Amino acid sequence: MATEIQGMGHSVKRKEDPRFIQGKGNYVDDVKLPGMLYLDIVRSPYAHAKIKKIDTSKATAIPGVLAVVTGEMLKQYNLHWMPTLMSDTQMVLPVEKVMYQSQEVAGVIATDRYIAADGAAAVEVEYEPLPVVVDPKKALELGAPILRTDKKDKKDNLIFHWEVGNKAATETAFKEADVTVKQDMYLPRIHVCSIETCGCVASFDKISGKLTVWMTTQAPHAIRTVFALVAGHVGLSEQKIQIISPDIGGGFGGKVPVYPGYVIAVAASVLIGKPVKWIEDRMENIQADSFARDYHITAEIAAKKDGTMQALRIKTIADHGYADAAANPSKFPAGLFSIATGSYDFKTAFAEVDGVYTNKPPGGIAYRCSFRVTEAVHTIERMVDVLAHDLKMDPAELRMKNFIPANKFPYKSALGWEYDSGNYEAALQKAKVIIGYDALRKEQAEKRKKGELMGIGISSFTEIVGAGPSHTFDILGIKMFDSCEIRIHPTGKAVARFGTKSQGQGHETTYAQIVAEELGIPVDDIQVEEGDTDTAPYGLGTYASRSTPTAGAAGAMASRKIRDKAKKIAAYLLECSEADLVWERGKFYVQGAPQKAKTIQEIAFAAYTNHPQGMEAGLEAVSYYDPPNLTFPFGSYICVVDIDRGTGEVKVRRFVAVDDCGNIINPMIVEGQIHGGLTMGLAPALYEAINYDEEGNIQGGSFMDYLLPTAVETPKWETDKTCTPSPHHPLGAKGVGESATVGAPPAIVNAVVDALAHLGVRHIDIPMTPWKVWQILKEKGVAAER
Amino acid sequence: MNHRIQMTVNGVKNEADVQPRMLLVHFVREVLNLTGTHIGCDTTNCGACTIVLNGRAVKSCTVLAVQADGGDVLTVEGLAKNGTLHPIQEGFWEKHGLQCGFCTPGMMMSAYTLLKNNSHPSEEEIRWGISGNLCRCTGYVNIVKAIRYAAEKIATEKK
Amino acid sequence: MHATSTKQFQVKQPIEKVWAFLSDLKKVASCLPGAQITEAIDDRTYKGTITVKVGPITSQFNGEVKIERLDNQIHEIELLGKGQDPRGSGGATMKMVGKLRSLTEGRTEVTGTTEITVTGRLAQFGSRMMDDVSNHVFEQFTRSFQAKLAQENGTGSEVAFAPTPQPVNALPLVLSVTGKVIGRFFGRILGKSTSS
Repeated sequence: MATEIQGMGHSVKRKEDPRFIQGKGNYVDDVKLPGMLYLDIVRSPYAHAKIKKIDTSKATAIPGVLAVVTGEMLKQYNLHWMPTLMSDTQMVLPVEKVMYQSQEVAGVIATDRYIAADGAAAVEVEYEPLPVVVDPKKALELGAPILRTDKKDKKDNLIFHWEVGNKAATETAFKEADVTVKQDMYLPRIHVCSIETCGCVASFDKISGKLTVWMTTQAPHAIRTVFALVAGHVGLSEQKIQIISPDIGGGFGGKVPVYPGYVIAVAASVLIGKPVKWIEDRMENIQADSFARDYHITAEIAAKKDGTMQALRIKTIADHGYADAAANPSKFPAGLFSIATGSYDFKTAFAEVDGVYTNKPPGGIAYRCSFRVTEAVHTIERMVDVLAHDLKMDPAELRMKNFIPANKFPYKSALGWEYDSGNYEAALQKAKVIIGYDALRKEQAEKRKKGELMGIGISSFTEIVGAGPSHTFDILGIKMFDSCEIRIHPTGKAVARFGTKSQGQGHETTYAQIVAEELGIPVDDIQVEEGDTDTAPYGLGTYASRSTPTAGAAGAMASRKIRDKAKKIAAYLLECSEADLVWERGKFYVQGAPQKAKTIQEIAFAAYTNHPQGMEAGLEAVSYYDPPNLTFPFGSYICVVDIDRGTGEVKVRRFVAVDDCGNIINPMIVEGQIHGGLTMGLAPALYEAINYDEEGNIQGGSFMDYLLPTAVETPKWETDKTCTPSPHHPLGAKGVGESATVGAPPAIVNAVVDALAHLGVRHIDIPMTPWKVWQILKEKGVAAER
Repeated sequence: MNHRIQMTVNGVKNEADVQPRMLLVHFVREVLNLTGTHIGCDTTNCGACTIVLNGRAVKSCTVLAVQADGGDVLTVEGLAKNGTLHPIQEGFWEKHGLQCGFCTPGMMMSAYTLLKNNSHPSEEEIRWGISGNLCRCTGYVNIVKAIRYAAEKIATEKK
Repeated sequence: MHATSTKQFQVKQPIEKVWAFLSDLKKVASCLPGAQITEAIDDRTYKGTITVKVGPITSQFNGEVKIERLDNQIHEIELLGKGQDPRGSGGATMKMVGKLRSLTEGRTEVTGTTEITVTGRLAQFGSRMMDDVSNHVFEQFTRSFQAKLAQENGTGSEVAFAPTPQPVNALPLVLSVTGKVIGRFFGRILGKSTSS
């Protein structure tokens, strides 16, 4: 055979790239339909205000403006509110009041995007400002204004109280401990800011009653079901809804929720009977789409004098904005925050989270991480360093002392998870060797004598990804399996369709490699398709590093089903018993007679032309894979920073990342995922934050104020790996897209704190901007005079 | 009042009536249907809309179409010649310099201009050369490698 | 966004004349760039508009201003203003206390303390420039106040002033701060001025 199979472990050049490098990608804003109209959205300047009047007359008088959609209009169809993925409710368009700055107030439909913008500027809205609550701690105080007045009987701003672990045992452990440490930390609001913003083209055909929506979504099937559930009463039923997720310009969690703009575009298309395009601009994207983090954390560790960690206790206030619009599995209001015991062998632990309403945009979604895992990892990796600081121990040594030993896997954590596999010592040891840890400590001591500020930071994280087993994981009741359907054509070529949706992860390549590995069909002969609900099998989508653990596994399982049938056909063709056949990648041969063989291509042809009587023709299979457990990728990162005493600027000199994601499908793609993840870890550690002033005005609402790292700030990442396969995944793989985003921030913070530790600095909240660091330098009397 | 403008785009002469407020990026994407050029922000920070206008890389979201009247424009669609990829395109594919692909066209047009002005850039010069273009997926390491690959390829082709 | 500032200046007029001017809201408003009283609701409450332009963001606030306190004995006036831009760029409230003090040689010292709260687009993008903008506004106000007061009292105009309200234009400030024009608003504003 001329073409190489290129299965697992090959750095296959990406199959999707030729279209992207030639400007032929097909993103939502590239979709152009005849007669298409444009939606632009009027947004609230107030964070909390009654709507007294909306005057649309000047807008509708503009030639080309066809309609202005308001909450009152949607109310007639009971579409002014919609459910969130956390079974809370959020407004599509307001009728009574607005709850955050930049909230959608009305939608203007026009023949051209410029005219739609003119129309939006001409809608006049009269507001009566109401008291604004931006601090979740104040929101919980007695006498705070109740924000969700739409919920009758709601007497406070608490959304949920969630706890996990053994409270009593943890209290006892703290009472009896030699040493306890406690630290408050705040992980600010940040925004994923995929370079493509969100948008859709909604096209309703009045004759057939079919609604087609091209949409920036990471989970097209789930969206279809949500649309059917929300709009079933107005006649949209699921078989007449087609969601197409075309090429997606980055997702990172921000394209999981349903935003009001999508719903307004759909409603407008249904009302007018023409396609309606909505593309948000960057400021709308940052100011109104779901945010990540916003966790106010207090953490404590109880330990023995020698540093042996005994117990962990965490209390968190989670600011969810005006609605709980996170995208967590239903049973996990704080996501997988209970991974907070991390890589360490704690005897007992207890964590509690209070979700709170404030006058901010709704959310609580991921920022390239699996359901609040970054928050958990930041907490534990910071706390280990706080303990090391107080005990005057080396942070690497303290970690080594407390790691879950490699021989204790599968390991049951104090907060209830069963870790599948791990070898934490090996990863940290490797990272130490690569970066030259001991030499760096010597250099640091020398530099300190000269007054120079240099720090070394470690993060030995454990992730929890691949949601998930259906007995525990669902979103709005839909179990979190994922799927693959493979059809082998008569000429031996294949099409494989998946329930997930790539946003840059390279599924067209890696999934093809999985099928190639399992069936021996060359990667080039396998067409991978995703994102069209009319053709792909039902799946929950791509987020939380779940594609390889779930849909990737489904690809392997569907391939194995095909192989089972192929074996029967091969036995028939070779006139032998199935038991006598041996599989070698790409063919079956008769044991002891390797020349008597049938290739998968020959078998495929026979499946349509010469299949055994009594057997159904064709060669295809579907798998809905329900993972038996989650996977637990891990790694150890070491970062070296130098701090400019004149400006407070933190420079990352070196960053070594040793990752372990089990067996690797495409090393080139995995490395690329880690590079990107590390950069999205650097970003919140040093630059990104969205704050609000007391009136609820967003600070950081555009790329002028919300700083994404450029190539200049981003260090030259150094990556390496260890390999501890997952024992339960069919390919031994674990998922990797988010590990680095999760693991990197505490390594950077630990390095900066380490650089200042001798001055008595024990903790710094992110982002560690030059201004913040400079103030510390000034306070400690070490800022350089220029 | 519409204005009649002329523009050579990827070697093809175009003429159109446009509103004076129309941005060049909308002209390229929506009038000429060259959708390879993308829009990623509204403050001239992200660089997804970068094209080459009269030999300079410009962010086409901050240029009016009427300002480019009479100009010569190169977009991502004009990089490959007769079905052969430009060395920059080849480099991005070879070195895994892209993931979601959204920033890629703008990134490549900045790289194109960089290499026109500096055929052997150092790593630091490459990083500064693309500092007006944001990428959220790759962490830039492989983009730098891709541009180096292109520089070497162009140098070899010239020999 | 919340900003408090206290400013002081002197005028070459005796305190009673300055007080007569300062306690007349219509006259004071005429000194404020971009401001216009459109309607008197009662002798202490007026409706009016104020136009502020910060870079690409033009806000016309429609609102109400009320004399909360007027003390002829100690020459103090307290004003409370509230406004809203009907086109959605935001709203603002302002509390201002004006105080006079007699100086030698028939001069008077004017002290103004303002507390401004801004909501909306101006607060998002203008926060870093707000100090510059308010200094700019105050400078124009001071010049206009002195000129009008002088003119009214027949001592001739010291400074020329525009007879019609001009919007506060902080565009040069914005350009020097950001060096950029916001594309979308750029489009909208140009669109408005060219298509209408």
